Amino acid sequence: MTRAKGIGLRAGVVSAVVLAAVTSLAQTPDLTGVWAPYRGGRGADPKLAPPPATPLVLKPQYAAPFDAKRKAETEAATKGEPIASGAVACVPYGMPRMMQVALYPIEILPTPGQITIVTEAFSEVRRVFMNVPQLPMGDVPPGFYGRSVGKWDGDTLVVDTVGLKTTVPSYQNMPHSDQLRITERLHLITKDILHDTITLDDPVVLEKPMTYTLAYRRMPGYEMVEFVCDNNREFIDEKGGTHLKVRDR
Amino acid sequence: MIHALLLAGLLHHSFAMFDTTKPVTLVGTVTAFEWTNPHAYIELDVAGEAGAVKHWTIELGSPSILQQAGWKFKDLKFGDKVTAVVSPLKSGQSGALLSRITMPDGRVLTNGPVGGRQ
Repeated sequence: MTRAKGIGLRAGVVSAVVLAAVTSLAQTPDLTGVWAPYRGGRGADPKLAPPPATPLVLKPQYAAPFDAKRKAETEAATKGEPIASGAVACVPYGMPRMMQVALYPIEILPTPGQITIVTEAFSEVRRVFMNVPQLPMGDVPPGFYGRSVGKWDGDTLVVDTVGLKTTVPSYQNMPHSDQLRITERLHLITKDILHDTITLDDPVVLEKPMTYTLAYRRMPGYEMVEFVCDNNREFIDEKGGTHLKVRDR
Repeated sequence: MIHALLLAGLLHHSFAMFDTTKPVTLVGTVTAFEWTNPHAYIELDVAGEAGAVKHWTIELGSPSILQQAGWKFKDLKFGDKVTAVVSPLKSGQSGALLSRITMPDGRVLTNGPVGGRQ
């Protein structure tokens, strides 16, 4: 090969690589911005609504206490002393509950090598490290957000999360073990409607993986609001019931 | 039931402390408006019989949710006269959850976007 040909070939390879990188960037949907829970409502296109969740089937040894707990919760709520969730004490939700809290928006911030998700409720932050391998489950210190890695599968962002503390509430407050793995598939249904299809796999607690979908609508121009719990007047009594501090004047 | 579902969509936790089946109308004077998290609060003096004043603590959603319903942080101040429809605490204490309120300028505001519809 002549020197000139070699340079030409190298330049060709470099441009092909650059072109491929640019093309792949251009092909991945832009999720940047603020997204609010999408609830459909009257007149909304049913195709945009999230599909129903698959059944939540716990192994018998977990199902019985879970059902008993739910019954106790219902009874306490009827009495007007609901059993407190961590949220009453302003403890953040963690994964996966943080991905949709009431009507609070979330903000998706892609940067090179990382996609950061910030929620308005409790100002929670999770980081999705892109195109890196996941660690073995036992190597991730258990936490509220675990360790998330992501990659694009065509136009779908696939996020794998492990390392969730067993005290962090999960879907419908189901119990979970340290073997919980969360797989999310984020996909634009239209330019402005995003679905996050979440699969929970916990071979210790669940008979089989369960899947549910959250829907969001884009909120152009929305400025995220701060959320610092500096005036929590609700308190939890020794039995775990929730009460409100009222003032005399 | 619709009311209960609406509330469930607005609050970050159970609202079962409050009796949503027995709305109470309070006509009173604002003593404080706290635009805070996890909830905003209105403190209200309500004149009763023979000049007695009963004080009420009224819980609202959070600033984020209230803003979506058209509220502003300076919408109420000390001395403002308002009429609030609330769900009282089941415990009997004079605390309540806001359902809707008629502001001094006549606007009627709720505790969040109506029906959570978008």
